[in-house]
Amino acid sequence: MIARASLVALRELFAERNQPDGLAAALTFTATLVLLESLAFGPGRATQPDVASGVFWIAILFASVLISTRSFDRDLEDDAIDAIIALPGGREAIYAGKMAALGIVLALVALVAGVFAIFLLDLEPALPWHVALVGVMGVLALLPVSVFTSVLALRVRARVAVVPILTFPLLVPQLVAATQGMSAALSGASAEALGWTGLLAAFALVYTVLGLTIVPAAIE
Amino acid sequence: MIETTASPFPQVRLRPWLGIVAAALSILAMWMGLVWAPTDAVQGDVYRVIYVHVPTAWLAYLAFVVVFLASIGWLWTRRPWFDALAVASAEIGVLFTGLFIVAGSIWAKPTWGVWWTWDPRLVTTAVMFVMYVGYLLLRSLSSDFERRATRAAILGIVAVVDVPIVHLSVLWMNSQHQLPTVLRPPGGGSPSMDPAMSLTLVVSVLAFTFVYLALIVERMDLERARQQRIIEARS
Repeated sequence: MIARASLVALRELFAERNQPDGLAAALTFTATLVLLESLAFGPGRATQPDVASGVFWIAILFASVLISTRSFDRDLEDDAIDAIIALPGGREAIYAGKMAALGIVLALVALVAGVFAIFLLDLEPALPWHVALVGVMGVLALLPVSVFTSVLALRVRARVAVVPILTFPLLVPQLVAATQGMSAALSGASAEALGWTGLLAAFALVYTVLGLTIVPAAIE
Repeated sequence: MIETTASPFPQVRLRPWLGIVAAALSILAMWMGLVWAPTDAVQGDVYRVIYVHVPTAWLAYLAFVVVFLASIGWLWTRRPWFDALAVASAEIGVLFTGLFIVAGSIWAKPTWGVWWTWDPRLVTTAVMFVMYVGYLLLRSLSSDFERRATRAAILGIVAVVDVPIVHLSVLWMNSQHQLPTVLRPPGGGSPSMDPAMSLTLVVSVLAFTFVYLALIVERMDLERARQQRIIEARS
């Protein structure tokens, strides 16, 4: 399973490198969203830790949906999905491989968006390592659900609309945890930030295991 | 290949008894809720909306748990009967969730002064509503029977996670919504109810339960007829 998952992940990363439209779109979209949200809230409010965290994580939420949808769109356009499914081994490796590769892409987007947000909003994180930890755990908690709903909506009409409708309600707890955790890290509340990080880790584990267990039945 | 829509359980003749019992209990519950139950000392008569709000909430929870169980049943056995149960229960669950949000708003306006507030219980309930609307949307956009059932089953298993989140949100987070009155954790929760009010609430819950069962039976019948047409068209 690990070998097959690695193969799927490497294939995904090479495809992204050769055709970086997904990454480029996600980076541009996320940066634009951070900018627009900041303008909507106004410079006074957008620099507050709780508002800045919300601005960042909503942008990353949209980016995770965009990245996973684009990944499966590319496979469907190139008819590559049938070739991937035909590889020997279990279908859970497809899910695991996709998650690994898209996790790297989303982490890159989150890093760039985070640096952009810090400069744009003139933030001074009180606990920068906690901010990084919440960022990593947040990405790990968001991605399994985005990939899971993209798989469910594979070959469904109006996929572009269905995937966000399915994904966003499922990600509300993770969004709250990530926003509160990052707000606490920006404000210097270490124990609170670590508490929310633990919750994100639990969500990441639960949805990853759930995805590996039942999503393969939907891959076709 | 699907070959039968038959139920995996022994056949029981439920119609028209379920509908008759549901109607009778509903009339009784209405009389008790509007006339017989005493007026609340603090809220006056506006509290009577709980005889709709609470039962619809519980039945929505039940409906989504049934979706979860039916989804497992489909993935395990691939019998269309389970898929029919899942879709029937999901539709009724969405209806009841909408009803309990509306009933809650009707109560909230005179009590809290607003139709809606960003309270954890209300927000998580709205999220649950959208989640199951998404479930029905996913089903409606899938054309192949087995794929639709499988995708919906997977989503039905994952989405049930929100049901305990909705119920326990008032305990986990600061909430304006009152704490659980009946399903209270040990040592917690708001004061118990007046016996007459409790009895009225129990009758209301029973009435709505029979309404749910009656609707499920009718909706499943429609769905199984549709499944049978699909099987016949294939053969």
